[in-house]
Amino acid sequence: MKEKINILKKELGITFEVFTRDQNAVKSSSDLDLLENKYLGKKSLIAQTLKNINDFPQEIKPLVGKTVNEIRRKIEDELKNLRNELNLLEFDKKLREEKFDLTLPGRALLAGSKNILYKVIEEIQEIFIGLGYEIAEGPEVETDYYNFEALNHPPDHPARSLQDTFFIDDRILLRTHTSPVQIRYMEKHKPPVYIIAPGKVYRKDYDVTHTPMFTQIEGLAVDKNINFGNLKWTLETLARSVFGKDRQVRFRPHYFPFTEPSAEVDVSCNICVGKGCRVCSGTGWLEILGAGMVDPNLYKFVNYDQDEINGFAFGMGIERIAMLKYGIDDLRLFFENDIRFLKQF
Amino acid sequence: MKITYSWLKEFVDGLEKYTPQDIAYKLTMSGTEIKKLEYIGDKYKNIIIAQIESFVKHPNADKLSICKVNAGTEILNIVCGANNFKAKDIVALALDGAKIGDYTIKKSKIRGEFSEGMMCSEKELGLSQQSEGILILDGDYKPGESFANQVGLDDWVFEIEVTPNRPDCLSVMGIAREVCAATELKLKYPQYRFENEINIDTSFNIEIKDLTLCPRYSAKIFKNVIRCETPLWMKNRLFLCDIRSIDLIVDLTNYVMLEVGQPLHAFDADLLTSNKIIIRPASAKESILAIDGTTRILDEGTIVIADENSPVAIAGIMGGKNTEINEKTKNVFLESANFYGPAIMKTSKKIGLRSEASNRFEKKIDPLLTITAIKRFEELLNKINGQEFEKVIYDSYLVVNRERTVNLRYSKIKQILGIEIENKTVSQILERLGIKNKIEPDYISAQVPSFRFEDLEREIDLVEEIARIYGFENIPTQKLDFKSSQGRYTFNQKTLMKIRQTLEDIGLNEVINYSFIGLKEFKFFKLDEEKSLKDYISILNPLNEDFEILRTCLLQSLVKNLKDNISRKIQDLRIFEISKVFLKDDSNNNNLPVEKTKLAILLSGKINLKSWNCSERMHDFYDMKGILEYLFEKFRLKGKLELSNNEYKFFHPLISADINFENEKIGMIGKIHPQLVDILDIRQDVYYMEIDIDSFIKKSPSQKKFTRIPQFPSISIDLAIVIDDKVTNREVEDEIYKNSGITLVNLRLFDLYKGKQIEEGKKSLAYSLEFRAGDRTLKDLEVEIISKRIIENLNKKFGAMLRQ
Ligand SMILES: [Zn+2]
Repeated sequence: MKEKINILKKELGITFEVFTRDQNAVKSSSDLDLLENKYLGKKSLIAQTLKNINDFPQEIKPLVGKTVNEIRRKIEDELKNLRNELNLLEFDKKLREEKFDLTLPGRALLAGSKNILYKVIEEIQEIFIGLGYEIAEGPEVETDYYNFEALNHPPDHPARSLQDTFFIDDRILLRTHTSPVQIRYMEKHKPPVYIIAPGKVYRKDYDVTHTPMFTQIEGLAVDKNINFGNLKWTLETLARSVFGKDRQVRFRPHYFPFTEPSAEVDVSCNICVGKGCRVCSGTGWLEILGAGMVDPNLYKFVNYDQDEINGFAFGMGIERIAMLKYGIDDLRLFFENDIRFLKQF
Repeated sequence: MKITYSWLKEFVDGLEKYTPQDIAYKLTMSGTEIKKLEYIGDKYKNIIIAQIESFVKHPNADKLSICKVNAGTEILNIVCGANNFKAKDIVALALDGAKIGDYTIKKSKIRGEFSEGMMCSEKELGLSQQSEGILILDGDYKPGESFANQVGLDDWVFEIEVTPNRPDCLSVMGIAREVCAATELKLKYPQYRFENEINIDTSFNIEIKDLTLCPRYSAKIFKNVIRCETPLWMKNRLFLCDIRSIDLIVDLTNYVMLEVGQPLHAFDADLLTSNKIIIRPASAKESILAIDGTTRILDEGTIVIADENSPVAIAGIMGGKNTEINEKTKNVFLESANFYGPAIMKTSKKIGLRSEASNRFEKKIDPLLTITAIKRFEELLNKINGQEFEKVIYDSYLVVNRERTVNLRYSKIKQILGIEIENKTVSQILERLGIKNKIEPDYISAQVPSFRFEDLEREIDLVEEIARIYGFENIPTQKLDFKSSQGRYTFNQKTLMKIRQTLEDIGLNEVINYSFIGLKEFKFFKLDEEKSLKDYISILNPLNEDFEILRTCLLQSLVKNLKDNISRKIQDLRIFEISKVFLKDDSNNNNLPVEKTKLAILLSGKINLKSWNCSERMHDFYDMKGILEYLFEKFRLKGKLELSNNEYKFFHPLISADINFENEKIGMIGKIHPQLVDILDIRQDVYYMEIDIDSFIKKSPSQKKFTRIPQFPSISIDLAIVIDDKVTNREVEDEIYKNSGITLVNLRLFDLYKGKQIEEGKKSLAYSLEFRAGDRTLKDLEVEIISKRIIENLNKKFGAMLRQ
C-alpha cells in the first residue's frame, strides 16, 4: 500500500516538474488555457486520479485525496499567477498601442508677479521683524513740522536745500523722506521703540539717477543703553542678510540733520570684489544707506527724557538696494511698468 | 568742490609722507568724502618744455614752418602751422606717444618734411576752450623738463563732497585742517609779510544798514595796480578746480576764495560814484545790470552793495556790470564781506543763480576770514607784480562773541559710542581738530574756535568729532539684545501682504506708478465730474504739467501702463497696483488730505492664448467680477456682495457699478468707456476695478471661527427656466432664496442660453440647488414642495416657465 502511495507521489512529482517546464513556454492566454486543460482538465492525471479514487483501498483514500489536492492547489496557484502576469502583459501591450505626445505644451496657468520693490521691502521687513521690530506707517502728504522742523531742520537750514521739496502750500508738502514717521510714532509711544517704516517719498529731481518719487525704508530704535556699536551690529546684520554673508560693510562719517554722529554705510562691491570697477566708481564700495545716533534735539519734540534713553535711526532707498541686489542698471525701469520687466521678479 | 594735492601741500607740513590715495582714504573715513581722485599728469605724458632755436619756411607749404627745437638733450625737427612765435620762445612740445585729445602724436612726414613732434596751443593742451597760435611760456623754464611738472599740472585733483554743516571745509585751508586731524601732520599757516603792519581803519565810510544781514564788511583799495598776465601756475590751479581764468584781479579773488574760503569781489574803484559804500536791503523794483549782462529786478529781501546812487552788486551773488574790473581799471576796490546765509540762499534761489560765492555764504562762513582774505590777496599780488600798497584796511562789523566752551563728559562718550576712550586720546583728537581743551576729572572742557562756531555747540557735537576722528571702524560692533520688544506685523499689514501674494498667485503683475498725474489726464477721464473723485490736491511747484496733481484714483495710471505696453507690442495685460490716493479734506483742521489705500486692477487683451487644446479668449467683465468674488471668498468676507449700477463717466454706461458689501460702498467696477479707449488708440476692451483696501481689510475677519462640518446628506436638484431676457440673474436668485427657506445652502447658475431654441426676447437659465437641513436627513418630498413653490412664484412674478 505504501508502495502505491509512493508511486503516486512520484508520478505527481514528475507531473509538477513537467508542468513547471511547460509553463515557461506559455506565451499567450490560449497557451495558458491549453496548459490548464493539460494538467487540470478531465484527462489530466490529477482529474483521473481523483475520479478513480475508489480504486484505492479505503484506508489510503484520504491520503491519496490530500496528496493529489496539494499538487492541484500548487498548480492552480501557479496558473493564477501566470494568468495575472499574462493579463498585465497584454494590458501593457494594449496601452502601448495607444499614442501620447509628451512634448505638447501644457495647459497654461498665468504666472503673476509682486512688484520687485515690495519684494525687497518684504525681505527687509522680515529681517527686522525677526530682530523684534514693528512696522510703522505715516502719511505721504506731510506738514513742514514733521518733515523738517521736528527733524532738526529749522527754517533756513541749509540742509533743506539738499532735498528739493514738492509743496502743496507753504506748510504742507510731499514728504521728502520716511523720517516723519519717527516723530509721529514717538509722539504716540513711549520707549522702547523698535520700528521700521517703508513708504514712498518725493523729491523734485528728475534725471537718469533720480525719479520724483521713490521708496525708502526708515528704521528707528530708542531704548535704554543703545549705542553706536549696536547700530553697527544692526546694519551689518541687515547688509549681510540682504547682500550675502561674505560682504564687507563699512561706516563712513557723514552728516544728517537728525542724527549725530551720522554715518553712510557701504557694502563691498561684489562685481570687482573691492578692486574697483565701473559700478562702484572705482572705490570697491557701494553706498547703501545713511544712519546715525538720533540727535537729542528730536527727543525734545516728542517729550522723551534725553538723559534716560538713546537711539539710532537709519534709512535707505529701496530702488538702490534692488538695483545692487539684482544688477538693474536703470532707475527708470522701476516706474515704466514694462511687463517684460515686471515678470522677471 | 575740487582742490589739488600740491595746493594742500602748501598748508600741511609733511604731506608728502602720504600718497594722494592715502589722503583720499583718510579724508573719506573721517567724514570728508572724496568722490573722485584724478592724476592730471597722466594727460601730459611725453609733453615737454622746449625752446625754439630757429625756423624756416616749409618748402612745400606756405602756412607751415620747419623749426629746430631744443628738447633738452637734442635738437628736434618740428613742422608747425602757427606763426605767433619767434626764436628763443619757450613752448610746450608734444613728443612721439603724447596724447592730444583723442589723437596720439607720432613722428611723421608732413608735406615731405620730417616732424618729430608737435608744438601745442592752450586749447590742444586742454587748458582753454579757445586759443590762437601755440602756447608761448613766459618765464624761467629749462628745455627738456616735463611740461606738467613745470606749470603745475603734475598734480592730483580731489573732488570733495563737503556736507552742509561744514562750510569751514569749503577751502584748501579747511581741508588741510581735516587732513591734520585725520593724520598726525601739522597745519602750516601761511606767514603774511604784512601780518603786523596793517592798521585796521574803521573810519572809512562803510554804512551797513542792517548788521544781521551783513555782520561784517571789510575792504581795501589797491591804487595804481600794475596789471599783468596771471601766472600760468595759478591759471592752471584755477583750471584744475573748474574756475575759468579771466584776468589777474578776478583770478586772484577766486584763488583766495578757494584757498581760504572767503569770497571776494573786486570793483573798479573809479567807477563807484561816491566814496561811501552802503550795504542795504534793495528797495522794491530796484534793478541792476549784472556782470552777465542781464538786468535783474530786485526785491526787498535782497541785500545789495550800493554807492550813494544805485546798487553796484547783488551781495554775495553777482557784481554789477557798471563797476566791473576792465582793461582800463587802475584802482581796485576789494570787498571781503560776510553776509547772512539764509538771505543769500533766498536770493540765489529766486534769481536762479548759484555761484561758488553764494554757496559759501549760504552755509555761514567765519567772519574772521574777511581780513585773512584781504591779506592773502595782497600777499599774492605782491608776489606776482612786486607792488607795495598802502597799509589800510577798512572794516566795519557787528561785535559778536564767537568763543564757546563746551564740556564733554567721558560718560557721554561711553553712552553714545559704547566704548571708553582714554582721556588723553580724546584730548589729542580735539587738539588735532584745532580745539583747545583741558582735561578735568569727569569731563574735558573744550574751547570751540571761531571757524567751528556754527556747528560745534553741544556735547553731542563733540562726541561726533571724537567718533569720526577716532574712526568708526575702531568702534566695536555690539549685538543688540531685545528684552523689551517682540516683532510682529499688525493684522492690516499681514492682510495687505497676503492680498498682494494672492493677486500674484492668480496671475496678475504688480505695477507702481507715480502719485502725480497731469490735470489734462484727470479731465480727459472726466474725473472732475465724479463727486467722489473730483477733489484733487495740486502741487504748488510741479516738475512739469504731467505731474501737476495728486491722484484721486488709480485709473489713469493703469490705463497709461496698458497704453505704454501696447506701444511695446504687449497687448495682453493683467495688472494691479496698491497705492494711496489723495483727496482734499476741508474738515481736517491741519489741512492734510485724506489718504486712502486703493487696490486697482486692470484686465485687457487675451486671457487665453490660442493653443492646441483651447481656443483664444479675451478678458471680459466676468473675469474681473470673478477676481472680486475670489478675493471676498479667499479672505472669508461673509455677507452680501453686490454690484449696483452707478454710471461713472469713464465707464461704459451699462457696464459700470459700485461694489457694495453689506450695503456699504467698497469700490467700483466697470468697462472703460469705449470712446475714451478709442481716443487713446487702444483697440481692445479694458476692464477696471478699484477697491478700498482699508474697508476691505476692516471687513475681513481677523479671527476665523470653526463651523461644524454638515452631518446630514444634502439633496441637489437642477432647475431650468425660460424667462424674459430683461429679468436679471440677481432677481431670479433673490426669488429662489425667498421661497427656499434655510435649507437651501447652495445656488449656482450653470447655464445661460439665448438663441434658436428659445422664443425671442427670452432666455433660458439653469440653476443647481443644494438643500440640506442641519438636524435631519431631508426627504425628497420636502425638496419637491420647495421647488414647486419656487417655480410657481417665478411664474407669478416674471412669467417664467419650467423649461422642458
Ligand atoms: Zn566694483
